[in-house]
Amino acid sequence: MDWSLFLNLTVSGLTLGAMYALIALGYSMVYGILKLLNFAHGDVFMVGAYIGWFVLHGLGGPLGTDIAPDLVLLLMFVGAMLGCGVLGVGIERFAYRPLRKAPRIAPLISALGVSIFLQNSALLIFGAAFRDYDTYHFVGVKTFQVGNLFISGPELLTIGAAIGLMIALTLFVDRSRTGKAMRSTSYDREAASMMGIDVDRVIAITFFIGSALAGAAGVMWGLVFGQIYNYMGFIVGLKAFTAAVVGGIGSIPGAMVGGFIVGLAEAYSTGYLPQGSIFANLYVFALLILVILIKPSGLFGQAAITKA
Amino acid sequence: MRRRTIAFAGLAVAIAATVAFVASTATATPTRVAARSSAGSALVKCGKTLQIGFMVPATGPAASIGVQQIHWANYYVSQYNKTHKAHKIKLVLEDTQLGAANGTAQALQGAQALASNPNVLGVVGPAGSNEIVGVTKTLKDAGLAWVSGSSTNTTLTTDGTRTGYMFRTVPPDAVQGVTAANYIQKTLKATRVYIIDDEEVYSTGLADTVQARLKAAGDTVTRTGVSQQQSDFSALIAKIPSNTQLVYMPWQLVPKGQAFGQQMQAAGKGSIKLMGSDGLYDSAFASVGKNVYDTNFPLNPKSPIIKAFAKAHDGDGQYFGAPTYAATQVVATAVTKACAKGTTTRAKVRAAIRATNIPVNQSLLGVPIRFNKNGDMSTLKKFGVYKSNGSVFVPVA
Repeated sequence: MDWSLFLNLTVSGLTLGAMYALIALGYSMVYGILKLLNFAHGDVFMVGAYIGWFVLHGLGGPLGTDIAPDLVLLLMFVGAMLGCGVLGVGIERFAYRPLRKAPRIAPLISALGVSIFLQNSALLIFGAAFRDYDTYHFVGVKTFQVGNLFISGPELLTIGAAIGLMIALTLFVDRSRTGKAMRSTSYDREAASMMGIDVDRVIAITFFIGSALAGAAGVMWGLVFGQIYNYMGFIVGLKAFTAAVVGGIGSIPGAMVGGFIVGLAEAYSTGYLPQGSIFANLYVFALLILVILIKPSGLFGQAAITKA
Repeated sequence: MRRRTIAFAGLAVAIAATVAFVASTATATPTRVAARSSAGSALVKCGKTLQIGFMVPATGPAASIGVQQIHWANYYVSQYNKTHKAHKIKLVLEDTQLGAANGTAQALQGAQALASNPNVLGVVGPAGSNEIVGVTKTLKDAGLAWVSGSSTNTTLTTDGTRTGYMFRTVPPDAVQGVTAANYIQKTLKATRVYIIDDEEVYSTGLADTVQARLKAAGDTVTRTGVSQQQSDFSALIAKIPSNTQLVYMPWQLVPKGQAFGQQMQAAGKGSIKLMGSDGLYDSAFASVGKNVYDTNFPLNPKSPIIKAFAKAHDGDGQYFGAPTYAATQVVATAVTKACAKGTTTRAKVRAAIRATNIPVNQSLLGVPIRFNKNGDMSTLKKFGVYKSNGSVFVPVA
């Protein structure tokens, strides 16, 4: 057993998985409350990556900033999370709320429309050329080595920050008043409304938090992989959706675990399976089909109860 | 009653669809035959301004090399327009967005636009071998010849589907692959090589050639591929053995090549040499490290044209785009010749391109520009090898 390869693949998988988990949380939270698959969520992640890039360059760029790199990083995350949070609230208000009483297909189509709108708006505004975070020069190629295990600074930051955000979200949902309202609304929206909970406000907060997490993931993607472009959210969004389904759509712990499972599956399939680097996506989506066949509700999801 | 209404409506739709289909096929054949027989033979009045189509990745993942081609093509046009009184050349630019997620769809749209513009007499580009595969039928049906300054896949000119229509001012990959393999074996003396293609026709062709030659020499060669849309190479890099001496990566997209190189550094494998191909001939790839090599089109570094261009562009020679100057020169010369009597056809322009004979003192390639029957240059036989020096590539062979 080549432990060096295994450990390096594990780091790669955890890094990817952390980003997928953050995006998957948005899918799960929205589905839990609205029973809506927000297919525009992957493109919110893309917008977050661009916001991070613009904050970086607004502060002087990777080579030209006088501000401490740690502060620049913090501002990039804050900017992307706030920007995407507001975008998410706006999407909910104008693309989904008017369709709450419509047949379920209508908001789904609206979500697809928003996704295409965001991709092409980014193309129109930012152009088709790739943008480069140039992390190589920005935070430097700080790689930590333990034996034959290599982990770069951005990878460490991504895993640590993602876990931190997930812990914060869990505490918020479990212990705060708003979190309780969110759980109530996801359990039974009508009853929550009758109990005096402002359901519209709760839904808006859910979209804000989910989108903010996707924005954070966008900045992480730029820091780790360097290149961002307007179509990057499509396939990443699909994989994050896979993660949400694997974990159990509607389940927050499920989205977190599902994200890491998908990330690790992608890394291990690249490393160990035949033609893994070419067919990694095939293996990931095969995993989705397998989980749906064996446990349709996902690892942490609950089977739907149907009335006789 | 309602069911009967629906049934009648369905029947009406079916009948209408059938009538429409029959009508379209009844008239299609004569029109299509007429279109093919007239493709390229329609008479065009050569006005003061002669229009040449220009298909180039002005934006998108390959924009960094596309912009170089634009600069060189515009440079030729500016020189032509200064020295010719009877006609002026105008480039009709179509952005192909080579490497974009929607494949060659943009290139096809551009080809359709040029084909349907009766004033366009010839085409410079496209840049990518995969784009050429996608636009061949459209341009051929319209009778348009095209001269590419960068597409190198060998089979484009040898499979017989583009004879008389496609020409190029760069050697094919059969030459580039041999150049790369020889340099890897004889100069770098690398015997453990990892080859990664990007699954596009340009890349797999080069990778096949290099792999075959290295294996024949007894080297240890591992081959794999990665999608052009991939950004995370960390898992793939983890698989590359630490004792690998060189990674050969004939990719089209500079941002991906740069990202791969940086991720190799981050994974502690920065000492492994990287070798790209002409698609990666860019300062961004060169800046990855000091062990970066690349093959690129042959040029005459002492050419006064190259020196003048570099002087006009802050010392930047933008060498990837230089063969596009030659391609533009070929098409412009052919169009001018074909328009000698005031009117011409696309077929005459094609014939003039085929008969191109630009002397060496007017060619920045260092050789006369002449084509063989396949559309390859009969005078170009080699590629150059370059090594990174800071953020530039310098010739080493």
